[in-house]
Amino acid sequence: MELVLCNHSSYPRIGDDTEHQVLRRTIAQHDKGEKTEDAVRAAQDRMTELALAEQEEAGLDLVTDGQIRWLDPISHLAAKLSGVRVNGLLRFFDTNFYFRQPVVQGKLERTKPLLVEEFKFAKEKSTRSVKAVLTGPYTLARYSVEEKGGAGGFDKMLEGYTAALAAEVAALAAAGATVIQVEEPALLKYPDDFPRLEQSLTALAMSKDSAQLALVLYFGDPAPIYDHLQTLPVDLLGFDFTYNPGLVDRIASNGTARTLVLGLVDGRNTRLEDPAATARQLEKLARGADLSRAYLSPSCGLEFLPRDRARQKLKHLAVIRNTLLGSPA
Amino acid sequence: MSRAKLQSLGIDLPLFPTTSVGSFPKPDFLLKARADFASRRIRLGALEKAARQATEFWIREQEKLGVDVLVDGEMYRGDMVAYFAAHLEGFEEGGLVRSYGNRYYHKPIITGEVHWEEPITVEWWKYARGLTSKPLKGILTGPYTVMDWSFIEYYPDRLTACLALAKEIRKEVEALIQEGAKIIQIDEPAISVRPEELPVAIKAMHIVTDGLPAYFITHICYGAFEAIYPAMLDLPVDNFDLEMSNSGLDILELFKKARYTKDISLGVVDVHSHVVEEERVVEQRLRHALELLPKEAIWVDPDCGLKTRTVEEAIAKMQSVVTAAKALRAVTSDK
Repeated sequence: MELVLCNHSSYPRIGDDTEHQVLRRTIAQHDKGEKTEDAVRAAQDRMTELALAEQEEAGLDLVTDGQIRWLDPISHLAAKLSGVRVNGLLRFFDTNFYFRQPVVQGKLERTKPLLVEEFKFAKEKSTRSVKAVLTGPYTLARYSVEEKGGAGGFDKMLEGYTAALAAEVAALAAAGATVIQVEEPALLKYPDDFPRLEQSLTALAMSKDSAQLALVLYFGDPAPIYDHLQTLPVDLLGFDFTYNPGLVDRIASNGTARTLVLGLVDGRNTRLEDPAATARQLEKLARGADLSRAYLSPSCGLEFLPRDRARQKLKHLAVIRNTLLGSPA
Repeated sequence: MSRAKLQSLGIDLPLFPTTSVGSFPKPDFLLKARADFASRRIRLGALEKAARQATEFWIREQEKLGVDVLVDGEMYRGDMVAYFAAHLEGFEEGGLVRSYGNRYYHKPIITGEVHWEEPITVEWWKYARGLTSKPLKGILTGPYTVMDWSFIEYYPDRLTACLALAKEIRKEVEALIQEGAKIIQIDEPAISVRPEELPVAIKAMHIVTDGLPAYFITHICYGAFEAIYPAMLDLPVDNFDLEMSNSGLDILELFKKARYTKDISLGVVDVHSHVVEEERVVEQRLRHALELLPKEAIWVDPDCGLKTRTVEEAIAKMQSVVTAAKALRAVTSDK
C-alpha cells in the first residue's frame, strides 16, 4: 500500500502570532486607504509561503497554496467571470463561515485566467508537488442566484460555469498542474442532480490533458450515490468520512475503480484522531478496495481550524501512516 | 397571544415595536481600551469603565432615536460564542478562525464538562437597566449555537454537548429573570445548519426556557430557513427575530406555504452593507411583510447585530428602522 499524504485545499490565512497577522492587518489598512494593492499581494505571497512551508514541514507529499488569496470558495472564482456581480453573505454549508453569493446577470464568460498565477506562484515556491484546487461548476451554479433571467436558467448557468472552468483546467494543466482537484460538495445536498454533474465533469475531464482529475466531495455522506460516483470520468475520488461512520464499510464492501482520496482526519474538529483506530479503518478499507495507491487527507479544507491545530492535523497524517506502515527507515 | 403575554409581564409596547438584535459598534475609545488591555497597558477596571461609558452612550443613542425595546449594545463582549465560553467552565480559548472575508474570531474548544459558576451578563444588564426606563432585553447565545461554533473534544457527540450546555445556559436565564429581565433573547443563528438536528435544538430550547416567566425571542440569521420551516415553529419561544433584507425577504414566501404563528422581529436593514437604506425601502419591506402577517405580531429591527458597522452607520440604520416603523404606525389602522 502506498499512502500519499496530502493537504485537502485551504489552510489558515491567519495565526495567533504577529507574523501570521500580516494579511489581516494589511487588508484592513488597504480598506482604509492606507495600503496599496501591491502591499496586499505581498502579504498574500508571504502567507502563501508560510502555508507551503508548514505543509512541507509536516511531511506532506502533495501540498496546496492554502487558498490564502480566496475570500471564499464561491466568489473567488465566480467574481472573476464576466456576467457576475457578488451580493450578500450566505452561510457556507453547515459551517460558521460565510461566502458572498454570485449574482449572474448575463452570459458567463472567462475573460482571464482564474487561478493560474496563484498556482504558478505556489509551484515555484514549493519543493513538493502542488495540487491545483477549484470549486466545481455545479457547486458554483447551485450557490449563485440568477438576476432577472439574465443567465437563462440554472442549466445555462451551469453550462457557463462549466465552459469557464474547463478552460481553467486546461490552463492549469498547461501550467504544470499534475493533480487538479474539483470540489463539488453541493452534489451531496442535491444528489438527484448527478446527471448534471456528470455532464459538467465530462467537459472538465476532456480539458485536463495529462493531469489527473480528482473529484472531491465533503460536508456530507457520499454513500447513497457511491456507485454512481465510480462511473465518473475522473482519476481520483475524494470523500469526507466524518458524516457517516459506516462509509468505511460501504467502500470496503463495494470496492473502487478509482484512486481514493481518504478524508479520514477531521478537518472541522480539533480533537486528534486515535492513530491506531484510523490505521484500522485503513486496513479495513484495504481488505475490500484497491489501496495499492491512495491519498490520506483531512476531510475538508483546514481553514476551519486554528493554525496550530491545522498544523497538528497535517503532522498527524504522517503519524497515522507510520502507525499503519511503520516508520520510514 | 404574545402581546397578551407581554402585558401580563407589565410591558406595553406600541404597534411595530422597534428594537435591535444586540450588538452595536464599539466606539473608538473602547476599541483603544480593549487593545490596551490585551497588551496589558491598562487593568481590567479601566477596561470595564470604558465599557460602561460605551454602554451609556448606546443607551442614550437608542433613547434619542426612539427605539422601543433597548439592548445594552454588548460593549463588554467580543464574539457572541467566545464571550460565553470564556465565562463557563469546561472551555478553552481556541486560536483564530475566519468568519467571512477578513473577519476572524477565537473559536472555543470544549475540553471539559461545561458548568455555569456565576452570572455572566447580569451585572451588565443591571447597569444598562439603571440607565433607562424603557424595556431592556437580556441577550444570550443559545446552546445549539454555542455547541456548533465550538470545537468539541470532551463530549462524545454534538447532541450530548448541546444538552449539557442548555442546562447551564438556563441558569443564566434564571439569574436574569431574578434581577427583573422580562424580555430575553436566545440567539441561535446556527440552528438551520443541520436541519436533521433541529429536534436537538428544540429540546435544548425547552431546557432553557420551560416554565420561566419571560417573553422569549430567538434570533436566527444567514441560514437555510427553507430547510427548517415550519418545523422551527416548535421552538418554545414567543418571537422569531429573523434576518430578512440580506436574503431579499425570501422567507416571506415560506409563510405563504405554511402559516406563521408567532410574533416576528423583521430584519429590515442589511448589517453587512455600508449603504444606509432609505426609509421608503424599509417601509416597503414592512408593507410586504404586512401582506402576510398580522400587524400585532410584527417587531422591527436590523438583520443582525450592527457591530461590524461604524458608529455613524449603525445610528443611521437604526434611524431608518425607527422612522419607517413610526411612519407605518401612523398610517396603519388599529381596528
